[in-house]
Amino acid sequence: MRHDFYLAWRYLRHHRTRTLILVLCLSLIAALPLGLHRVLDAGEYWMTRRAEATPLLVGARGSSVDLTLGALYFSEAGMPAIRMQEADRIAATGWADPLPIYARYRVQGQPLIGVTLDYFDFRRLAPAQGGLPAILGDCVLGADAAERLGLGPGDTLASSSGNAFDLAGTYPLKLHVTGVLAKAHSPDDHAVFVDLQTAWVIDGLGHGHSETQIPAAQADSPFGAAAVRRADAGLLSYTEITPENLGSFHFHGDPATYPISAVIALPHDARAATLLRGRYLDDKSETEIVRPLDVTHGLLQNIFRVGALFDGILLLVGAIAFLLVALVFALSLRLRQREIETIYLLGCARLAVMRLLFAEILLIALFAGAVCAAVLAAAAPYASDLARHFILS
Amino acid sequence: MPTFRILSFVITLFAAASAWGASAIAEHKLKIVASNYPLAYFAERLAGSWATVTLPAPADADPAYWRPDAKAVGAMQKADLILLNGADYEKWLAHVALPRLKLVDTSAGFRDRFIRFENATVHSHGPAGQHSHEGIAFTTWLDFEQAAQQAEAVAKALIARRPELKTAVLDALKALQADLAGLDSEVKRITAARPGLPLMASHPVYQYLARHYGLNLRSVHWEPGEMPPETEWTGLDKTLARHPAKTMLWEARPAAEIADRLNTRGVASAVFDPCANRPESGDFLAVMKQNVENLKMSFQRR
Repeated sequence: MRHDFYLAWRYLRHHRTRTLILVLCLSLIAALPLGLHRVLDAGEYWMTRRAEATPLLVGARGSSVDLTLGALYFSEAGMPAIRMQEADRIAATGWADPLPIYARYRVQGQPLIGVTLDYFDFRRLAPAQGGLPAILGDCVLGADAAERLGLGPGDTLASSSGNAFDLAGTYPLKLHVTGVLAKAHSPDDHAVFVDLQTAWVIDGLGHGHSETQIPAAQADSPFGAAAVRRADAGLLSYTEITPENLGSFHFHGDPATYPISAVIALPHDARAATLLRGRYLDDKSETEIVRPLDVTHGLLQNIFRVGALFDGILLLVGAIAFLLVALVFALSLRLRQREIETIYLLGCARLAVMRLLFAEILLIALFAGAVCAAVLAAAAPYASDLARHFILS
Repeated sequence: MPTFRILSFVITLFAAASAWGASAIAEHKLKIVASNYPLAYFAERLAGSWATVTLPAPADADPAYWRPDAKAVGAMQKADLILLNGADYEKWLAHVALPRLKLVDTSAGFRDRFIRFENATVHSHGPAGQHSHEGIAFTTWLDFEQAAQQAEAVAKALIARRPELKTAVLDALKALQADLAGLDSEVKRITAARPGLPLMASHPVYQYLARHYGLNLRSVHWEPGEMPPETEWTGLDKTLARHPAKTMLWEARPAAEIADRLNTRGVASAVFDPCANRPESGDFLAVMKQNVENLKMSFQRR
């Protein structure tokens, strides 16, 4: 038997190009469906784990899938804004703790997420380097975002302007990196986090500017009306928040009307969750409440349906490829007719010839299996990224 | 005999469990940060030894005008509860990142009764037109009924964090509110004796005190250690002509030369310390009792 494999090995080595093509074809036919399943499994794990950890989500009425993907996975699709008063409304019920999220902007390709500091406790995100944002204008980077941007604590990055063609729009704000979060193996790794108030400064709702012009005090002072300070329209707003100009930053309007993308609601118990969901039953309401796990399950079912279709197609392609490989073998046997006759004339039994052919097939299958395993192993670390890219983006 | 042994064993076990429970709570003391001393005092009275209460503003600073740096904010972020006075007291709140779920706005319960003033900055940016920054009077605790409501808000937050301390906190709240009610009724009794008595205040911080106790109070904007310029004295004379006050309330004892110059106009100085920061001696209640005593003397002055 050892000799059979030796002869088969020598034969395959001699016809290395043909062997290589066969091995590659077979390995890819096996690797494709297996790899697809790996990506789907990674996507399912990734999405389910995140959705399970997020009990309820409130956002603008419309697509619950967009809301879930935007608020949980920071997809690029974007979400219609709701008002901050929605978070206050949830808090006022006393049934749940609200965690507002503002995910409107991206900075150098990474999602820029405005959150309150409670979000870090909720997702168990802790800084691996530096600290969490403390002052207006601070930001903390997810592990992958820090790696991709090449930034660390003490560095700065500029927020992107909302609309390049909006001449009256807001200027980019220079953000100070205070820390890098430890890797969480979640979408948080790709995000740049700022405090919600910093996100509103980026939005143009808050700003700081140089000293206002103070006119002479009015005659009825010192006990009458205070001097009215006026600022001209050409006032220059700061584009970087420093300890020196921090005091000049202020917001206009009622913070309850400020925009956010969604609110994660953390009900205190099952009863509170049911009561809270009951508050959003009105179809005319501008907001809706969803259970991310339900939305994710629905989404995954669709994905798996598509996956099953892919499986069917790949099975068909695999069968055709197998038949082609069988044909190649059959044809090669005809080409090797003289060689087989010579082996027979040398005194080998017909069975020995069969054994030789079997050894060749087995060796090719083994090589193809090894290549397939190597391809899958090499692609495994990227399964989550591929799932994120193809399923969530 | 066996019954006695079993009973002893159960009692010992119960005592050990209680001791373990108490030590476990003590080990995980609540970390409370208060934005001013009255709130810190309320928290200390209500939580007792179960909490460590911190007042981050330096001892020599007025917490209303203090601004935390990144280090102070970092320390606040680690707290279990951050007690805020509200009523626009914490002007730094818009400039810092703090966990919202740990913030307790103690004056939220009477937000509709805030005193607003139009001492505002007007400016404009582009097409949005002019707008102003509204002001709110913030020494809410000088109305002792409001102070009691703030204490109740602190108690509620403590109980929400540590439900096992509910009985102790409610007992402490009852005692604290009784003390505040005592101050309240005493000030009401004093002011009822001479309603509408004209008074001056050195600083516009007594709005809630004036409203709740019906004080006929007008304010200047003077500092106890800084001699006001002549224009201010001229203004004061004009005011006194229309508003014949015999007493000026001060946040702290005024410099002797200021007090003397006021005396020449027939105006005595009386300290009514809002006690926004931790006093050098005594506590909030002692300071307020002294304030009430000083006010009483002002009302007795003919």
